[in-house]
Amino acid sequence: MRSAASPVGTPAPATDPLFTLVETIEALSAVRTVEGVAAVVRSAARQITGADGVAFVMRDGDQCWYLDEDAIGPLWKGLRFPMTACISGWAMLNRQTVVIPDIYADDRIPHDAYRPTFVKSLVMTPVRPRDPVAAIGAYWARQRTPTEDETVKLQVIARATATALENAHMYASLNETLARRKFLLRELDHRCKNMLAAVQSIADQTLRKASSPEQFVDAFTGRLQAMSGAHELLTRGEWADASLREVLSAALEAFGGVDGRRIRAEGPDITLAPESAVAFHMAVHELAVNAVRHGALGVESGGVDIDWSVDMAAPSRTLGFSWRERGGARAVQPPTRTGFGLRLLEGGIARELGGEAHVAFEPDGAVFSLKAPLSNRIALA
Amino acid sequence: MSTLRLILVEDESLVAIMMEDMLVDLGCEVVGSFGHLDAALSWLEDTARHFDGAILDVNLGGEMVFPLAQALRDRGVPFVFATGYGEISDQRFAAAPLIHKPVNPEALSLALESLRTAA
Repeated sequence: MRSAASPVGTPAPATDPLFTLVETIEALSAVRTVEGVAAVVRSAARQITGADGVAFVMRDGDQCWYLDEDAIGPLWKGLRFPMTACISGWAMLNRQTVVIPDIYADDRIPHDAYRPTFVKSLVMTPVRPRDPVAAIGAYWARQRTPTEDETVKLQVIARATATALENAHMYASLNETLARRKFLLRELDHRCKNMLAAVQSIADQTLRKASSPEQFVDAFTGRLQAMSGAHELLTRGEWADASLREVLSAALEAFGGVDGRRIRAEGPDITLAPESAVAFHMAVHELAVNAVRHGALGVESGGVDIDWSVDMAAPSRTLGFSWRERGGARAVQPPTRTGFGLRLLEGGIARELGGEAHVAFEPDGAVFSLKAPLSNRIALA
Repeated sequence: MSTLRLILVEDESLVAIMMEDMLVDLGCEVVGSFGHLDAALSWLEDTARHFDGAILDVNLGGEMVFPLAQALRDRGVPFVFATGYGEISDQRFAAAPLIHKPVNPEALSLALESLRTAA
C-alpha cells in the first residue's frame, strides 16, 4: 500500500502524474497480447490526460479498427472505418499528432459518426510514427484546446505502446514457433515409425526370397541404401516435392548414374510428393538391380532408355513412364511373378499413384511401363 | 476355422506388401488392397461385396481414413486401425482396436482374433 507519507527511497504517491506514467509504462512492458496492451492504454491514457474518453485504434490493412475504449459515453468500440474516413486514419497516414479544439469546425472529421457521441474536442496520436500500427485518441465533451502537457503525455504513452505492441507480436510469433515445433516433433515421430515399418517390410520381403544369409545381407543393404538415398534427396528438398529426374539420378547413382549414354533419361519436369518419391526411388532401384543381375546392365554393350511424357489430350492428364532395356543379349530368365521388386513395381507404384503398371521381359531385357493420372502425388512442374 | 476375408487400406506400398504377406501367413485372404480412400470407398459401394473385416491405416497421405471406418461401421463390418501415431484422433473410433506400426505379427494375430469374434 502506498501512503502519502512515503519514506525516502520509496515510490512517489499514486497521485503524482509522473508516477502514474511510469506505472503505465511498467504495466505495458508486462503485457503479452494486443488486447492486454489495449486494456492498459485505455484506462491509463484517460487517467493521465484527464480526458472524458479514450479510444485505442489498431490499423488493419486499409481500415481503422476501434479495438477498445474507456469513456463517459459509448464511442465506436468494435467498429471499423476506412483509413481515409476517420481522424485516427489521418493521424496514422500523416504520421503526426492532430489536435482539434472543435470537431465540427474541422472537415477531416466525419461529423455523422460523431453526432451520436459526446465528443466535442480531441487529440489523436499515432503509435510508432515512422510506420504507424495504431493510434490513441483522447476526447473531451466540450470545445477546448487540449494543452501541450496533455498532448505530450499522450505521445509518451503512444511510444510505450509501440514497444508493448512489438513485444506482443514477438510473443505471439514465439508461441507460434513453439506450436510449430511441437507439430514437427509429432510429424517426425510419425515419419520415423513409418520408415521403421518400411524397413521392417524390406527385411521381411528380402528374407522371404533370400537363398543364404550372405545374399540376404547383400540385398537388404542395397535396399536400405536406396531408401537412405531417397530420404537424403527429400531432406535436401526440405520434404517438399522432389523432381522425377533427381529421383532417377539418385536411384541410379550406384549403377553408373544417368550418363546420357549407357543410361538415358528424358522427359518433361515432373514432381513427386515425398512418399511417392520414396516408392519410385525404391522401384527404380529394383529395376536396376534386376538389370544388373538378369538384364541389360549386366553386359558391356547394354543400356537403359528411360522416357516419360504427359498425355495432355487424355480426359485426366496422364503420365506415361517407361524403362526399356536395350542390348541385354543374355538369355533372360524372367524372375518369379511374386518377387518383391515385381510386386513393388506392378502393385506398389501403381497403387501409390492410382495408375497401372506392367513389367515385361523381352529379349533385350526388362520393359517397365507405367500410366498414372496426374494428381497431388505426381504433377507437371 | 474358416478363412477370414479382409480388405487392407494402407498408403505406403512397402508396408502394404508386408501386411498382405503377414495376413496370408496368418491364414487370411486379402480380397482388396487400397492405397487411397476413394479407391476403397468406391469398392465398398458395391453392396454385394462380402468380406469379414478390414485393416485400416489411419493417415492416408494426409487424408484420414475415418469416413471409410464409418461406412464399415454402418455396414456392420469390424475393423482394426494400424497407425504410426499414438492414438486415434477421432472420438467416434477411440474404442476401436488398434495396432501400432511397425507391426508386430503377434499383435496382428490378436487383432485378427478380435475381428473373427466380431464378424
